[in-house]
Amino acid sequence: MTTTTFSIGRTARLTRWNATLLARNRAAFFYATVMPLLPLALLFAGERGDPAVGANAVTTCFLVAGLFPVYYNVLSQFVARREELVLKRMRTGETRDNELLLSIALPGALCAIVICAVLVPAAWALEQPLPLNPLVYLVLSVMTVTMFTAFAYWTAAWTRSAEAAQLTSMPIIFLASLGPLFIALPGLSSTLRDVVSLTPGAAMAELVGSSWFGFDRVGATEPTLGFAETWAAAAGPLLVMAAWTVLGLALARRSMRWEPRT
Amino acid sequence: MTTTFRSTTAAVQVRGLRRVYGHGSSAYEAVRGVDLDVPVGSITALLGTNGAGKTSTLEVIEGLAPATAGEVHVLGLDPVTDRAALRRRTGVLLQRSGFSGDLTVRETLRQWSATLSSPRPVDELLERLSLERRADVRMLALSGGETRRVDLACTLMGDPELVILDEPTTGLDPESRRDVWGLISELRAGGATVLLTTHYLEEAEALADRLEIMHAGEIVRSGTPTEIALGYPSTISFRTIDDLPSDLVAGNQVSRERGRTTIETTALQETLTDLLRWAHAHDVALSDLDARSPSLESVFLAIADQREPAVPSNDSGMPTASEGALR
Repeated sequence: MTTTTFSIGRTARLTRWNATLLARNRAAFFYATVMPLLPLALLFAGERGDPAVGANAVTTCFLVAGLFPVYYNVLSQFVARREELVLKRMRTGETRDNELLLSIALPGALCAIVICAVLVPAAWALEQPLPLNPLVYLVLSVMTVTMFTAFAYWTAAWTRSAEAAQLTSMPIIFLASLGPLFIALPGLSSTLRDVVSLTPGAAMAELVGSSWFGFDRVGATEPTLGFAETWAAAAGPLLVMAAWTVLGLALARRSMRWEPRT
Repeated sequence: MTTTFRSTTAAVQVRGLRRVYGHGSSAYEAVRGVDLDVPVGSITALLGTNGAGKTSTLEVIEGLAPATAGEVHVLGLDPVTDRAALRRRTGVLLQRSGFSGDLTVRETLRQWSATLSSPRPVDELLERLSLERRADVRMLALSGGETRRVDLACTLMGDPELVILDEPTTGLDPESRRDVWGLISELRAGGATVLLTTHYLEEAEALADRLEIMHAGEIVRSGTPTEIALGYPSTISFRTIDDLPSDLVAGNQVSRERGRTTIETTALQETLTDLLRWAHAHDVALSDLDARSPSLESVFLAIADQREPAVPSNDSGMPTASEGALR
């Protein structure tokens, strides 16, 4: 990338137009706003106020928020606009590459952040506790959005069209979804558990459990961490998510294409 | 990049530009050592058949693709490293580009306007490109020609000093094409420099101050339309007569096709005088007589057929498409 300058104003204005386009695409808008809140229905399934049920529901909401408004939305928007030569046209003007990338990611990212915020009163209304460490919860929300954005641009590098994205998105969707499931398995050996905890979804699940519910591991049923201990518990998983983000961005940067393959 | 040349009289300077696609045995050299100067305030047309390397050359000048070798300066700046400074002063129309179908024409222009440092008003551009009545129509409902006009509106919105147009009128109906020609002439009158590509010969002839003819990745001829035609034969043609003495047209290429005789000559006035004197003396009527200086089309056909100037030959074998377009 050859960009050296960055205009916040231009990025904000482009973000507004991309948000307009997202709002006009009914399917994408539904996936970005309603879909991530649907897992809250899980709160009705178990015993009212059970934190294990709460952690499960919130983790699923995070996963869907990361995958739909952010990952799949950014991937398909970017790939479709590249295919339609919208990006090539934009790049003939004053817009910098990083402004273009950020403005495509921001509408979905903001949806996801709002959803992370809405989860708190929604869960509380259903008798769940409030987040134990709101600051870590906030960092987790931002980190989730950033990590899935990086994955989206990485996937875009080897996705030919918006239709192809339905297939090329599968590895990341599996990688992200299977982590929280596997790490919660009761009979898992500690070695295997350590390996699974290095996946992006498992790290995210651990952070939801510790920062909101005070769980020392995914699948716990009783809170054991105090406020002070949630900081230490957050360090490892945050590092895992940061590492995935850096890896995703580095790979995306190396193989970024702005024009369809001829 | 060391600057060995840099001029205040050329808006675009290209030296030794090469562009290679692919690697190894599949590598294809689309641009093979192009030198190009676009004088400030001129309309320069890059003319060539499809696949001649016009777009590949423009993409480097636009800063959208790196050169494999060579130097490019645009308004004295490097199109890649000085991108930010340069983009405020240039307007680019791609050969093919796209817009979000869900935005209306006006919204599309407002969106583009939001990315520029000093845009002209959206309403002014709607009027200039005759788009007022389509302003509230979504982009996906526009015809190809209308979309092209929206594209042009974006290109001109930043009041560019240098306008780069890649086949600006391809796909437009004749009336819209004339409108665009008018617009391009206005740009020059307003002091802007225009570099355009076209494969319409009449477009190049009507608009351009300078022509650069590209063939197989190289610029094979450059100059004003008159300079370029110099050295290429003029033609005299008339309905075939049986008793044309061969010594009258000695040294010239003569062909007879479908009842018409065509003489190619490098001395139009002399050959024509001899012919008319002979016809007068022998009371011969030369029906449908036509005499013309070398046209850009004949030059172009000769180049496409790899013939040198002043070596006339008539069996070019190149089809002449309608409207003087060569594809």
